[in-house]
Amino acid sequence: MSESMLSTKSGVESRRSGVATAGPSRAGGKPSDRDGADRDGAGRGTKGRGAKSHGAKGGKQGANVLAHCVLSIGGLAMISPLLYQIVMSLSTNAEVQSTPPTLWPSVVQWHNFADVFTSMNFGSQLWVTVAITVIRVIGQVLLCSMAGYAFARMQFRFKGLILAVVLSIIMVPSQLFLIPQYQIIQNLGWLNSIAGIVAPGIFSAFGLFLMRQFFMGLPDELEDAARLDGANPFQIFFRVMLPLAANGLWALVIITVLWSWNDLLWPLVVTSTANAAPLSVGLSNLQGEHANNYPILMAASLMAMAPILIMFLLMQKRVMAGIGRSGLK
Amino acid sequence: MKAQTLTPASKSVRAARAAGDRRKGKSKSDGWWPWLFVVPTVAGIGVFYLWPIIQTFYYSFTKWGVFGGTKFIGLDNYVRMFADSTIPQSILNTLIYTVVVLLGIPIAVILASLIERPGLRFAALYRTLYFIPYITMPAAVGIVWRLIYNGDFGPINWFLGLFGIQGPYWTSTPGFALLAVATVGLWMSLGFNLIIISAGLREIPRELFEAAEMDGASRVRQFFSITVPLLTPSIFFVTIVTVISGFQLFDLLYVMMGKANLAMPQTQSLVYIFYNQAFLQNDKGYAAAIGILILVIIALLTAFQFRIQKRWVNYV
Amino acid sequence: MNHNVTRRSFLSFAAAGAAVVSLAACGGNSAAGGSAAKAAYAAPAKDLSAELSYAIWDAAQKPAMQKIVTEFNKQYPNIKVTIDVTPSKGSAYWTKIQTQASSNTLPDVFWMNGPHIKLYAQNNQLLPLDGLVSGKGVDTSNYPKALVDLYTVNGTFYGVPKDFDTSALFYNKALFKEAGVSDPTSNWTWDDVKSAGAKLSKFYQGKGIYGYAGDLTGGQTSYYNTMIEAGGTIISADGKKSGYDSAGSIAGLQFWRDLIESGVSPSMQQLTDTSSSDMFTSRKLAMTMDGSWTVGPAQKALGDDLGIVSLPKGPKSNQSVIHGLANVIPANAKNPAAAQAFVAFLGTQDAAKIQAETGTVIPAFNGTQDAWVKSVPSVDLNVFLDLAKDASPYPASANTAAWNELENTLLPQAFAGTKPVADVAKDLASQMDAALAKES
Repeated sequence: MSESMLSTKSGVESRRSGVATAGPSRAGGKPSDRDGADRDGAGRGTKGRGAKSHGAKGGKQGANVLAHCVLSIGGLAMISPLLYQIVMSLSTNAEVQSTPPTLWPSVVQWHNFADVFTSMNFGSQLWVTVAITVIRVIGQVLLCSMAGYAFARMQFRFKGLILAVVLSIIMVPSQLFLIPQYQIIQNLGWLNSIAGIVAPGIFSAFGLFLMRQFFMGLPDELEDAARLDGANPFQIFFRVMLPLAANGLWALVIITVLWSWNDLLWPLVVTSTANAAPLSVGLSNLQGEHANNYPILMAASLMAMAPILIMFLLMQKRVMAGIGRSGLK
Repeated sequence: MKAQTLTPASKSVRAARAAGDRRKGKSKSDGWWPWLFVVPTVAGIGVFYLWPIIQTFYYSFTKWGVFGGTKFIGLDNYVRMFADSTIPQSILNTLIYTVVVLLGIPIAVILASLIERPGLRFAALYRTLYFIPYITMPAAVGIVWRLIYNGDFGPINWFLGLFGIQGPYWTSTPGFALLAVATVGLWMSLGFNLIIISAGLREIPRELFEAAEMDGASRVRQFFSITVPLLTPSIFFVTIVTVISGFQLFDLLYVMMGKANLAMPQTQSLVYIFYNQAFLQNDKGYAAAIGILILVIIALLTAFQFRIQKRWVNYV
Repeated sequence: MNHNVTRRSFLSFAAAGAAVVSLAACGGNSAAGGSAAKAAYAAPAKDLSAELSYAIWDAAQKPAMQKIVTEFNKQYPNIKVTIDVTPSKGSAYWTKIQTQASSNTLPDVFWMNGPHIKLYAQNNQLLPLDGLVSGKGVDTSNYPKALVDLYTVNGTFYGVPKDFDTSALFYNKALFKEAGVSDPTSNWTWDDVKSAGAKLSKFYQGKGIYGYAGDLTGGQTSYYNTMIEAGGTIISADGKKSGYDSAGSIAGLQFWRDLIESGVSPSMQQLTDTSSSDMFTSRKLAMTMDGSWTVGPAQKALGDDLGIVSLPKGPKSNQSVIHGLANVIPANAKNPAAAQAFVAFLGTQDAAKIQAETGTVIPAFNGTQDAWVKSVPSVDLNVFLDLAKDASPYPASANTAAWNELENTLLPQAFAGTKPVADVAKDLASQMDAALAKES
């Protein structure tokens, strides 16, 4: 939110300066110095300030208009499937299959959403989904950040070898794990339980690698200072380093939430009662039941996606910062 | 003006390099502390992920009964695999899919450099619009796209019809189907690539552009001699992610194609064949051999990428 | 014997952990299951206490199944049955059942179908039910012979038939009337349906409405029937050789290619995009070959415009493939006595009547089908029952899924015309023979 305001303001500013004069407010190296300092801290928000130093030429306004054209057409194309889905969820089945396509239903069919509640166990499946997602997130955040920290900043035997193995596991398609994992869960007696759905997903080679990358990028100074103060590695990790890796943790959180929320094949196989199943499984059951009732399918999948979409919209700044920084190293 | 010649100018870059050097210098072991941090995760990964891979490797040399019980048959599965003409075709399909999805990276670079233009309005809104497809459910989105691509009442063919073009049956015509699926893959991954690259863009020191501007370099020139070279670490990262996920293509095929699709041989991925052999045709030993092939290919590709990254990725 | 099992399962259910349950059950019952098969079944005591899981794949039938469980509990109040639905779409159900079978965690009772029965029976995954028959728990003469045969593997009876389905010719009366084409009758031949289809497709040209189609993404409601009607076979009676290269089989496949080529039927690609059932219910198809399970949805969509007649007669006959589901019990059943009592009840006339009244499927129990026929009075559903009388058994072998995949991969090329039908059929036959050879 504040980010968009920031960019809006500086946009106006730079445009004004572009129109008025050739930009007298821009004083050589000064803004860039500030930029550098900023980046050493959190590495964020350089854009707004950079604006001043960058809006030099008179043709900028025209270029921005062009940018808006490209970006808005592209953006519309990107979300059009979602818009199409919303329209279909409010249409009749005949309207979905009509030519030319229905732009807006003649009578809005709100009952499609109500029908979802009668055809699937939405409430309890939502609860299962939330529960498995929360457990997976907490487990991964704790385990992956600890392991990632050790791989990034500690020395121990076989480190390179273990890391190579972990890296190669990231590349293995998940279907390969299905049967062996099922047998393990069955031996543990965890079939049909939240523990069974969650167990393999708490451990993540990808999460470990992601957190390692983040910890690699942190400066040594604070860690060294804490060590001189006599802190043990646990204290250093939890009090000093973990708070510094907040962006990385957010990246891990959002990716884990997405995977956990959308995972289908594994929960489908380990759960055998509709009440123990998450939404993704409920949705696929619904597909089996209403194979050609598109409006209900669309309504149900919108409802299943809604919590994630809302969460994303509320926390988008953190999500973007977290994911964005995951690719920097 | 080459990017490399400019980099030493950046203070933060120098600091980062110094930090790296210090870390490298520290070679003594931290005793048993690291194991406290590492053991829970490594043990879990070992049990739930490594052990299955080892099992798969073993099973690839067996005839695996549908319900368990294995018989060692040596290299038979591998011999059969190398004679199976659907395997090279599916590798080709996967490569084509990956290349199409990789096209999303230059698109993401261009879009990101537009969005990250200093002072552009609505930048946050644009980022949100492009990112939303990444967070949607593949199973749900697959059905939507199936309808969008529908040859008779889908909006794409209706749109083409406005210009008098008779669109094909996108998901069931050989050639088109792979493009159709890959387009959805591109659509889903574009937002992720865009965010990574945007973040990379924001890390580029502004003074580089100023210096270039003073030297009279045009915008286009700046883009190619500063932006792109300094983005290479981010580009490398999204390339790796795209290639790996390209070779894991399954969900979209599963949801969008359906059985008995004329286009399936020219569309199916190796993972799809693996799933098909393991769970539909009940030939798990053969499926295990295909699984090992997938592993080897992805490992080779990644190793290759890491090898050639020195030539084109500028880690400053 | 029965006392033993009862006591053991009671003890194990009293134990808390689920792991303990399955371990105790595994340990105790591999022997118990084996001997239960040979010994004649005796109905267990009414106070038998057990928990059963019942896996099905059709959510639409869950209410009927639940009602049957309620009736069952009037006899056995202490046997708790939990119904678990996994859709068959995308083979999710079979992926799951297979994974469960690999780790001995199969549900206590589950639905079985034709393509999978031999696979599970020959791999000793199922409890033989001969004891249930000899103990008069089930009388096989109550069900159509083709179904009892389907679920009898190497002389052993494994599944109690639950329902059956056959295919017939569905048509849209309104589309016929508008085009001025006279309605189909049960005496039609292939030529009649072809010429009527041509007239209809011509009349509706440019409107996206077609004359005749079947579901070519699988054989049951399309090419299996025409192959048999032309005197061909899909698989030999002993299940060892493919029938695809016979002249009759090729003629049966060519029938559909001709329909597509002449524009009577939508193209192969079109039928992949939108299923023939969908096209029929959305009034884009005047006639379709479809299964008895479609009657409900079709009637709901078309109302009184729906008409149904027998299959058009081919060069040799008018015949439909008959398929039906059965209820089976896993070989290492945790509680074979309770499971058999439940399966026996599922096979009763009472259970069949409950199914019939819902109109979703044709119950397998002879004589109860009338209730199903009456469930949709506007069409004569006796057509399906007549077709069942000399229907051809559903083609299956030990690993049916393997060559079903071959059909799905190769046949679309024949229907789309990318390769000549005869070439594809011969190619399919040789690949299918190779797959069959691997079974033994």
